[in-house]
Amino acid sequence: MYEQIASNRAKTVFIIIGFIIFITLVGFAIGYYLDWRGISNNYSIILMIFALILAVIMSFSSYYYSDRIVLSLTGARPISREENPRVYYMVDGLSIAAGLPVPKIYVIGDEGMNAFATGRNPQKGVIVFTQGLLDNLNDEELKGVISHELSHIKNYDILLGTIVVVMVGMITIISNIIFRSLIFGGGSRRRSSKGSGGGILSLILIIVGILLILLSPIIATLIRLAISRNREFLADSTGALISRYPAGLANALKKISMHSEVKTASSATAHLFIANPIGEKSKVMFKSLFNTHPPTEERIRRLENMSLGVGIK
Amino acid sequence: MVEGVIALIAVISGIVILLILIGIGMYNSIVSLRNKVDNSWHQIDVQLRKRYDLIPNLMETVKGYAKHERETLQNVINARKMGIDAKTVKEQAKAENMITDTLKSLFALSENYPNLKADQHFLRLMEQLNGIESNIAYARQFYNDMVMKFNTRIQTFPGNIFARMFNFLSRDYFEIEEVSAREPVKVKF
Repeated sequence: MYEQIASNRAKTVFIIIGFIIFITLVGFAIGYYLDWRGISNNYSIILMIFALILAVIMSFSSYYYSDRIVLSLTGARPISREENPRVYYMVDGLSIAAGLPVPKIYVIGDEGMNAFATGRNPQKGVIVFTQGLLDNLNDEELKGVISHELSHIKNYDILLGTIVVVMVGMITIISNIIFRSLIFGGGSRRRSSKGSGGGILSLILIIVGILLILLSPIIATLIRLAISRNREFLADSTGALISRYPAGLANALKKISMHSEVKTASSATAHLFIANPIGEKSKVMFKSLFNTHPPTEERIRRLENMSLGVGIK
Repeated sequence: MVEGVIALIAVISGIVILLILIGIGMYNSIVSLRNKVDNSWHQIDVQLRKRYDLIPNLMETVKGYAKHERETLQNVINARKMGIDAKTVKEQAKAENMITDTLKSLFALSENYPNLKADQHFLRLMEQLNGIESNIAYARQFYNDMVMKFNTRIQTFPGNIFARMFNFLSRDYFEIEEVSAREPVKVKF
């Protein structure tokens, strides 16, 4: 449990440092390119420093604001105690059992059944349910899901998962911009000076190549780090310890697996959810590439073994 | 020869420093576990206090409809007083079990007074008490988890050595006496 928290914190630091290095390198590469073309002098250093500062600011803001970004990305809205006393009642009790402060509760107006947790620490924890989940699960099942999400909060999975969403998103956006501007810039350059066209073209290809080489393993690593499948198993079993009723979560997973698609979820946020929120079509591709979620049957089987096992005092 | 002695001293002092560091780590982890136990006890206490605050209110409401049930009312009041005065975990657990039981008989009694059962204030109080009851159960679960961790740490090697050196004492579980008390008070409307 405490190892899990320590490892999540270490991974978060690692990802933030990796992000800062990446952005700084991109700044340097752009500056180097401009210097080489004779447009500027010493831009490589200036842009590198600029990028470094920018990356540090972005890291800080993503640490403090990524939960809000994730909430707005998925279209979640807060609900009041009066609107849904039932879910508040359960979250209150289970937070006491988990020894956590009571998280905020948000709802996504989607009939698919799913849930996730976000926030940078347990004090800022948020649990998000889809309306479909609240409507279709009975009390025991909903308690199972709440306990699962509370264990993500307790383990600090939420910090790592949420920061990954924003960092990966930013890297993708930045690399897109660079990719486009390089292609565009290269085109206009070719028209104005005929002499060095071939050299520039090859340089563009080199830079783009370097970017992609740098980019793809980083993104892949970030996602894989964030969504190690063991994380879900661990949250399932810790959740069962909180609710003291593994069958509740097992039954919930059975129901959820029948209809877990959430329209507002994307590949950037998919790993946060309790079950894969991406529809069947992309699921096939997703499964082979990243495997955000372990197979539901396996999770249910493990939970059912838990309920058969020795009773937990 | 001299070099050999120096190397030996270096190795021994290295081991001693390492042992001291491990000892500090062990001691600190025991203290932090003990603080977690205290904190989780505080969580129970918060819920118990909420229940103490509601009971006088409930008494007033019930008295308005069922004056003659003096004994049942007095039992609840006595149990509440026992709970407030309790010094140890065991006493507290005993008193809380009594409160739960006496409240149960009070609710059973309300069956005989249709006007009481229909009172909005009474209904709301019962609902609140019901919620507190289940929160007490959850808080107790967390507290007992923490006590188990703490007790295991100070009863197993090498924690037991530290426990004896620094006089760490095992904590009591917050126990419920009878099976019926394991379930929250069920209120039928």
